[in-house]
Amino acid sequence: MAGETYWESFQKRGMSRREFIKFSTMMAGLMGLAPSFIPKLIHAMETKEKVPVIWLHGLECTCCSESLIRSGSPLASDLVLNMISLEIDDTLQASAGEPMLEHKREIMEKYHGRYILAVEGNPPLNEDGMFCIVGGKSFLEELKEAAKGAAAVIAWGSCASNGCVQAAKPNPTHAVPIHKVITDKPIIKVPGCPPIPEVMTGVILHVVQFGEIPPLDRKGRPKMFYGQRIHDTCYRRPFFNAGQFVETPDDDAAKKGWCLYKIGCRGPTTYNSCGNLRWYGGISYPIQSGAPCIGCAADGFWDNGPFHNRLVNIPLPGVETTADKVGLIAGAAAIGGLAAHAIGSAIRNTMASRETNGNNQEEKTK
Amino acid sequence: MATRVVVDPVTRIEGHLRVEVVVDEKNQRVQDAVSSATMWRGIELILRGRDPRDAWAFTQRICGVCTTIHALVSVRCIEDALGIQIPKNANAIRNIMLGTLYTHDHVVHFYHLHALDWVSPVEALKADPVKTAELQNVIIKKYGAIRDLATDFMGTNAYPKNFPKATPSYYKAFQDKVKALVESGQLGIFSPAKWWNHPDYRKLPPEVHLMAVAHYLDMLDLQREMVIPHVVFGGKNPHPHYLVGGMYSAISLEDMNAPINSARLAQVEASLDRQWEAVNNFYLLDLLAIGDIYVNQHHWTFGGGLSKKRVLGFGDFPEHYSGFQDGDYYRKLLYHSNGVVEDFARGVNNAKYYPINEKELENIAEYVQHSWFEYAGGDDRALHPWQGETKPHYTGPREGTKTNIKYLNEKGKYSWAKTPTWRNKVAEVGPLARYMVVYTAVKQGHIKPTWVDEMIVKQIDTVSAVLGAPPEVWMPTTVGRTAARGLEAQVAASVNYYFMKQLIDNIKQGDTTVANTEKFNPEVWSTAEYKGVGMTEAPRGALSHWVVIKDRKIQNYQAIVPTTWNVSPRLDHSPERSAYEAAMMDTEVKVADQPLEVLRTIHSFDPCLACSTHIFDATGKERAVVHVGTNNILP
Repeated sequence: MAGETYWESFQKRGMSRREFIKFSTMMAGLMGLAPSFIPKLIHAMETKEKVPVIWLHGLECTCCSESLIRSGSPLASDLVLNMISLEIDDTLQASAGEPMLEHKREIMEKYHGRYILAVEGNPPLNEDGMFCIVGGKSFLEELKEAAKGAAAVIAWGSCASNGCVQAAKPNPTHAVPIHKVITDKPIIKVPGCPPIPEVMTGVILHVVQFGEIPPLDRKGRPKMFYGQRIHDTCYRRPFFNAGQFVETPDDDAAKKGWCLYKIGCRGPTTYNSCGNLRWYGGISYPIQSGAPCIGCAADGFWDNGPFHNRLVNIPLPGVETTADKVGLIAGAAAIGGLAAHAIGSAIRNTMASRETNGNNQEEKTK
Repeated sequence: MATRVVVDPVTRIEGHLRVEVVVDEKNQRVQDAVSSATMWRGIELILRGRDPRDAWAFTQRICGVCTTIHALVSVRCIEDALGIQIPKNANAIRNIMLGTLYTHDHVVHFYHLHALDWVSPVEALKADPVKTAELQNVIIKKYGAIRDLATDFMGTNAYPKNFPKATPSYYKAFQDKVKALVESGQLGIFSPAKWWNHPDYRKLPPEVHLMAVAHYLDMLDLQREMVIPHVVFGGKNPHPHYLVGGMYSAISLEDMNAPINSARLAQVEASLDRQWEAVNNFYLLDLLAIGDIYVNQHHWTFGGGLSKKRVLGFGDFPEHYSGFQDGDYYRKLLYHSNGVVEDFARGVNNAKYYPINEKELENIAEYVQHSWFEYAGGDDRALHPWQGETKPHYTGPREGTKTNIKYLNEKGKYSWAKTPTWRNKVAEVGPLARYMVVYTAVKQGHIKPTWVDEMIVKQIDTVSAVLGAPPEVWMPTTVGRTAARGLEAQVAASVNYYFMKQLIDNIKQGDTTVANTEKFNPEVWSTAEYKGVGMTEAPRGALSHWVVIKDRKIQNYQAIVPTTWNVSPRLDHSPERSAYEAAMMDTEVKVADQPLEVLRTIHSFDPCLACSTHIFDATGKERAVVHVGTNNILP
């Protein structure tokens, strides 16, 4: 709520003073403040502001900003105007040029050590950084300057997290992920091209509501969103297990929604929430729309092509074989009615049901 | 006395842009203007040697705002090269995705990237909520007739689910929120507070400000429901998935696991209704109200620039077609913006019309005379995209240092954008250009108009009546550019229903094919050279991709994107300026150190600067086979 302090906001939500103090203490931890500053911080949060956010744009395509405003929960309007104070963002800012840069300098000074720096895109190092110019200077310089006073940094999308398309070979501008140039601040990496809308707002919400950086994996990604492979949460996984694959786009198997592994799906090597959270509140994700995943949240995915080439050596769970072999055996079994004893019982059951042309997965696994 | 004013960064755009204007403080007019694209990524170089079937994914990342458009034009381009005709269903689906992009992108542009050039949250505090509710009703009555021009080919929406709220209590509650935000001192994206002191924010009555700021937030929350067709057909948005040969979204009416079935089509239809509501119940009405006040009360008709002299388009929304180089695309268009129109400002009868089709492909080329690139054979000649070359050559500014620009050097090189030309001449592209081309083509009798062309003519005549001014007066202006975009969103909302009906009718006939996979496996291609071109009308204007494939790999790839046409630096052989510079020079500036009018005019183009895609040799040496210059800029 505009103008509402955190304490008022807590009261409205029926939360206790104790919870508020706890939240404030965690915020202090996040900001790296000494314990002696905690009373001061609590006072500030009772009387003042929302977390200020400075959002910078380097070499990018703005798909991350677009993704953020697609969030259904929370809605972008509630997040941007009510839960944080988005003080600087090229894409949405009313002001431009010097008045805006002047405001940025003021915010960086006023909230030194307390603002969140959100970075979309990445800096090019070639040509002294001048492949990306902001206010007459390199984005590289702007980024380093803004990082100095940041409490924490969010690396939006694959550009900031792992380099993305402009860093694909031969990387003409020598674009680098931001952790190559910001080395002394906590960085939350939120890869994806773009990340799922609710993953982006979820990260911000977590920081604001719980006053801490969400638990991260060893690569710096929030565990709750990047803890599982798409393959492991995919609704088409049973078809993979059953050796039922799309061989060519729009074939009969594609119409039945079988596994896309053989036409190049990167689900088995990509960690993201597409399979369980999905896009737009569960409407779809690329695989559900029949498209093999291109692994857009994985490091270096652009150079892991061609995208239609299948990943090699993806083993089946608990089975000493690959999907290719299973497919061959399953096919032979379907034609000749042979039993393939070397493979697991789930597969055997599937083949049995394939012989009777059963397409319903429940029937197959009975 | 003249002052040189720098605006860098230009905000509320895609990518990075700098402009410098020389303002005569006596008469408040812009004497000279310089626009510079200030980013470069090199995506076309990255594409070399890769699988042509993957090009859509790389080029799609040129832009995440007009997401989908580079993927669409890329698959069109590769299909043209390999001689692949996509199935009828795929064509319908792609057109629905394009129409969806138009309505979504245009709405987001108007409310979230452009509105704050006209509307201020601070002014909204002065409004009377009762009067605001009355005003809303007046606006619905006064301009509502424009909605009758749209055609709903589906007719499934029982009632408007999204409609402007016209109650005093709503506006009061909303105003209280804005007040609390302003008083908190944390204005966020509306910072700094002094920005709102500009006198132009007093041109509209406070009630219009309150209404428009409310709609800013209404549309921020509605826009996400408008792109659902991308999520159903392409799996996500931004950056839905495409396929060379058609679409991945297989259709089956027998399986809930199918990407497309009746339930999934219903999700698309519901979203088309949301698009329709946003455009017809909010966007068009707000646009006409603000445009009417600016043109008729304030006689603010600045910003025309190059649109008075020359505009260009490629056409779009094709019926089932076979390719570009065979000319079939241009014969099957529903939206006949494929042409060049000169001198529209002299009246539609005096304007000159030239069709764009396969015969004009050879007349498109690019210069680098004032771009931070150089050509091996000298910068004085233009190169066709299939023979283009790009080698970066950053020369720094006129004043300042190479890493700290004070003033750009417009006498030398000053931008990461090249200068595209048609028959050696610059042209403005975008919705306004498309509307001028269609209007001229129909009124002068050059084409047999489709229902889309006829709708556009009716829209233009209706707006001319509302504004009490002929098209040659209101169209080639900043207001006209913004208005054409809104009108086009209405066309797109109708086109969506048209192709949705076509898709359903075709499925009813028993045709569920969405992909032509005869050439899916590259083994069936020859190792010989294939050349291809794909064209489209991106939300921001005419877009083309050009490819050379050899040994089953991409040898050359080039994109000439709309914002490059518009932002490009000047030419030595002509006094004509590109669209941004010409439009800025056709604008007044009241407060020299806050050139809001310049910003408004630049925003009327909907700039999209992400990614310069020029190819160059990273070692700095010239390539034996030259590749592809391309552009910095995105539609």
